[in-house]
Amino acid sequence: MPDQENKYEAGISSNAKKDPVRVVFVTKKTSAKVTGDASPQVMAYPHLLMREAIAFMVLVIALVVAALFWDAPLEQLANPLLTPNPAKAPWYFLGLQELLHYFPPLVAGIIIPTLVVVSIVVIPYFNVNVQGKPLWAENRKRNLLIIGCVLIALGVLLVLTDAWTVLAPTAVIGLLMLYSYFTQEGTGAFQKYLGSRPLSWWVMTWFILVAVVLTVVGTYFRGPGWSWVWPWRSHVG
Amino acid sequence: MANTSSAGGTLERLRATRVWQSVFRRGPARTNRTRSVAVFGNLFLHFLPVKVRERSLAVRASYYLGSLSFLLFILLTITGILLMFYYHPAVPQAYRDMKDLRFVVSNGVFLRNLHRVAAQLMVLVVFWHMFHVFYRGGYKPPHEFNWVVGVVLLLVTLFLSYTGYLLPWDQLAFWAITVGTNIISAMPVVGKHVRFVSLGGNVVGENALLRFYVLHCVVLPLIAIVFIAIHFWRVQKDGGLTVREDNAGPGK
Amino acid sequence: MSEPLKPEKPQTQTGGPSKPGATRREFLSDVATGALGIAGLGSMVVTYRYLSPNVLFEPPTTFRAGIPDLYPQDSVTILPEQQVYIVRTDRGFYAVSAVCTHLGCITQWKPELNQIACPCHGSKFQQDGTKIEGPAPRPLPHFAITLTADGQLQVDKLETVNSSQVLKV
Repeated sequence: MPDQENKYEAGISSNAKKDPVRVVFVTKKTSAKVTGDASPQVMAYPHLLMREAIAFMVLVIALVVAALFWDAPLEQLANPLLTPNPAKAPWYFLGLQELLHYFPPLVAGIIIPTLVVVSIVVIPYFNVNVQGKPLWAENRKRNLLIIGCVLIALGVLLVLTDAWTVLAPTAVIGLLMLYSYFTQEGTGAFQKYLGSRPLSWWVMTWFILVAVVLTVVGTYFRGPGWSWVWPWRSHVG
Repeated sequence: MANTSSAGGTLERLRATRVWQSVFRRGPARTNRTRSVAVFGNLFLHFLPVKVRERSLAVRASYYLGSLSFLLFILLTITGILLMFYYHPAVPQAYRDMKDLRFVVSNGVFLRNLHRVAAQLMVLVVFWHMFHVFYRGGYKPPHEFNWVVGVVLLLVTLFLSYTGYLLPWDQLAFWAITVGTNIISAMPVVGKHVRFVSLGGNVVGENALLRFYVLHCVVLPLIAIVFIAIHFWRVQKDGGLTVREDNAGPGK
Repeated sequence: MSEPLKPEKPQTQTGGPSKPGATRREFLSDVATGALGIAGLGSMVVTYRYLSPNVLFEPPTTFRAGIPDLYPQDSVTILPEQQVYIVRTDRGFYAVSAVCTHLGCITQWKPELNQIACPCHGSKFQQDGTKIEGPAPRPLPHFAITLTADGQLQVDKLETVNSSQVLKV
């Protein structure tokens, strides 16, 4: 071919054979080990992106309606000389504030939150959580013994510190665990469900239950001096 | 396939102009190939995978909690920026500005309500997202680090909410932050120093307000954006969301 | 094609470009676009109104300048906070802006030269605002000046009036 005919032109073309557009550049051993999954796939545009757009619109509508009806509070000007009674933290810290009622600040304010965060962070790095075997599948008696000792120790500690708002949900979970142990051969759907739960499930569910109970108590059931109040009697919350 | 309705026709004519084609160079995303390139080659969208598993699109798969967290963040950024136009982070001007927003500024009440309700919801949704990912086993290898990034984002969300809490400078704000910073001083060895630097002093005063304002409006949002980007990128690089056929959790 | 094919419309006539009755998909798509457009437009309007302050913490634009007798006959008096000259001639009162129309510097009244002079770029005006020389593009505007019920001069800086208008007292 004569040289004069080799003219290069810039342009947009959709012919992949004529103007190949490199979409993916795959080399060996450069990406994480992706677990294969052969389930059907669809294009992100439009299927995912349109759904996200719809989610955004629904969210905005819901929030606008909420904003039209619920007014954000504004109390008096900040006064360092006048402490309101009770002085409550934002709701997501109220659980912690309830804990502060039972344990000293170092424990309830520093040690426990740090332990909680660290525990949550390291969940994926423990084999027991990755394998997720049901708690009562193997070594039933041994597991029961360990769980029992932990629960009793925790229970004693909570009774000694009068932390009964933590004790109550712990007792509920403990009872559920015992129930699931003794109904391993059961046929009910709930029994089967409980029986197949791994240790990580039990611990997380216990944590969520305790956190929810503490937050609800801190929001609605605590009044001046952090004393116990019944919300329907004191119009608190 | 020409659209015969008037709005569609206008769009087609617009798309044929040189100006439009210089901005959107790949043409409308109507084939699978152009749709791949549209997501892969776009600065804003390339955080997403080009294809997603159909099962992961169902509401019950994720309840769109992760998406909602991000969308709430965007909403909070927009409403927050608008609120910044009337707010002076000074004592006691901040409180007067809150009154202004409530009584004087057009739609001030609405905007503040929107910001606050979105903030409360974001904390809730981020917690729920974490619990849901846990129960679905989404933390398992190779996704461990993304789980850690998620926890970092949870902490950033909580700090954003906490620093924002002080800004109205009313009794509720002042005493909530006083209690919180006193807890910080309970940290062994470094507690008092950390409190001193956080507050810019020994008391919750004008320095504290300014520091919390800078944290709330600049530092924490930037950190959040970086970690959100990593979070999205990790999902994409790990091959996108997977959903088991039985929607089961971490057991088995 | 990745989308399922739409069922073909029955070919009852040779297809013209603007056949009435778009498909249901097109109609719904247009309705959605319209709704989004309204929402977007509405948001912009609401945001604009939000950003326009209703209360200003600036000196008021309508102010009182005292009783007419404060101003001697044939005098030019500057009110510095308001940046306005109160001029009293034998025809009456008028209020001239002290802000130079060039780039906004505050002018000065020079009684020895009988001129209003701008220190920034050398524009010079007569006491009624007419430009004598300089880069200023327009004469100094006159503001509406009235007499209140209790006998005080009142100037409204938001209302400009013809330079021949005077307030007879």
